[in-house]
Amino acid sequence: MKVLSRAMRGVREHVRTQLVSVATVALALFCVAAAALAAENVGELSRRWGAPMRMTVYLSDHATAEQIEALRSALSGLSEVRAARYVTPSEARAVVAGDDAVLASAGAELFPATIELTLVPGATDRARLSVLSERVRRLNAVSDVETYQGITAQVQSILASGRLAAGVIALVILLCAMAVVSNTVRLSLHARMREVEVLRLVGAAPSYVRSPFLAEGALLGSGGAVVAVALLGALFVLFRSRMDSFMGGALGMRPVFLSGFMIAGFVLGGAGLGATGSALAVRRWLKV
Amino acid sequence: MGRPRIGAQFGRAFRPEGHFDRSAAHKPILVLDGVVKVFRADAPVLRRVDLTIERGEFVFVTGPSGAGKSTLLKLVYRSETVDEGRVLFCGRDIARLTPESVPFLRRNIGVVFQDFKLVPYWSVFENVAVALEVAGMPGRVIRSRVALALERVGLAGRGEDLASVLSGGEQQRVAVARAIVNEPAIILADEPTGNLDPVLALDILGLFEEIHESGTTVLFATHDRALLEQSPQHRLIVIDDGRTIEARKGLRAMGGALAAQRAQRDVDDAVATARLPL
Ligand SMILES: Nc1ncnc2c1ncn2[C@@H]1O[C@H](COP(=O)(O)OP(=O)(O)O)[C@@H](O)[C@H]1O
Ligand SMILES: [Mg+2]
Repeated sequence: MKVLSRAMRGVREHVRTQLVSVATVALALFCVAAAALAAENVGELSRRWGAPMRMTVYLSDHATAEQIEALRSALSGLSEVRAARYVTPSEARAVVAGDDAVLASAGAELFPATIELTLVPGATDRARLSVLSERVRRLNAVSDVETYQGITAQVQSILASGRLAAGVIALVILLCAMAVVSNTVRLSLHARMREVEVLRLVGAAPSYVRSPFLAEGALLGSGGAVVAVALLGALFVLFRSRMDSFMGGALGMRPVFLSGFMIAGFVLGGAGLGATGSALAVRRWLKV
Repeated sequence: MGRPRIGAQFGRAFRPEGHFDRSAAHKPILVLDGVVKVFRADAPVLRRVDLTIERGEFVFVTGPSGAGKSTLLKLVYRSETVDEGRVLFCGRDIARLTPESVPFLRRNIGVVFQDFKLVPYWSVFENVAVALEVAGMPGRVIRSRVALALERVGLAGRGEDLASVLSGGEQQRVAVARAIVNEPAIILADEPTGNLDPVLALDILGLFEEIHESGTTVLFATHDRALLEQSPQHRLIVIDDGRTIEARKGLRAMGGALAAQRAQRDVDDAVATARLPL
């Protein structure tokens, strides 16, 4: 507590510089928090789309109704399958054509009959999925099986490279924020040279001289983090309804905000970042 | 205000186990023994200084500008280190102090400078209290001791004022209060009147003499003749060509019996302090 009040004594004297510094840190951390928020939501997407949840079983053209029904009930008995639904050619046409009159008027026989399987989430890693599809492929009245592995693999790899890019950018931004804190503490050190000189003169231990500057850095960092998270939260609430209808409709999920755990981590991380930045300045500029 | 408990804190600083070094109180407070300090090889600042200062002395150190007065004081509060020789403070060679011990040395030495060295944006109280805060003293004790120190320098009731609003003479009084607030064994003054007009200079000299009266050793560097003439009773040392010359014996040299008496009281005090469970 004493250290904080000594740090605040410095903050009080140079409010302008400190405010600029907090604002800069806040801006930088806002970018990172926004990226984290995006990552959080993308993660949600990835859970939804990254793992194959669907399988389409194409039926041979000459399959009889009894064969189809027997196949459907056999498929729904599989442990990996949650539901199996028979889609007639005309249903398939309706889904594909939508409002398109030309397609809608095409012959239903152009569209293959299928059984759409909804898989049990988590029950289907890559290996089990190919085993399953091979087994289904050999069944009676089955012409082909689509596992959507290509698409999910693609989604996965796009998400992964997105995460990597975001991570690199976040790292750069964090380093910049650290440099800003470091520079602010350096200015503070220069402004408080007399104070440092006096402390040394009256017999302060080196750690006593250094600690308020480290605390100042930590305060700047965590202050910036709080401002950034608050700003992001406000924007999130403001745009939630729009994001909701878009994301809900297109992606089948509701947007999520950073968890309390992540927010706490963010503020602590901001403090750590600030303390590290100021430690760099103190190491370089404060001889005790 | 009690007399300085000479050596008590310092004894502890040197001995982590906290035993008071009984013999320290019988030794001269400061001994420079064959001290050499060289910044540039062609012009050593101190060539060979031998100097002994007893407890309770008031010693003027003089010499032309650049003679090495400041350097000599810096060697004592370990802002500089000797190139040869020893500097014994309470019998301990401070040239051999580890960096970790230097702060403890400084808590037993008060220093006052020509340019006051106050923090302008701190209050008078904060400027004085800092000397106790660094030692981790509790707030209640700090408040009462700072109030006493401010009273001693004639600034009672000015604690709330910002240091920067005070006049030069007042600022120097604050610096003196900071130097005496933890009752150090010795006070070093490096041209403390250099920035003050002659009347204020005499004022500040008077203040140091009062502090000396209460038992503190004072080492007062100045090149102001008026001050030296104002107080002919004090011992006077001249630094000339890198050596010290004993220009005038102080009254203390004649009052040996009194000095011995005082030293014995210091020992009693210090032992009593050291035994207190802290
Ligand atoms: N850190 C230093 N580096 C180089 N020279 C120094 C340093 N400190 C003092 N000196 C030199 O030592 C000499 C004595 O300086 P100083 O002790 O300040 O003299 P005084 O206080 O008697 O005026 C001067 O010539 C000064 O230039
Ligand atoms: Mg000088």
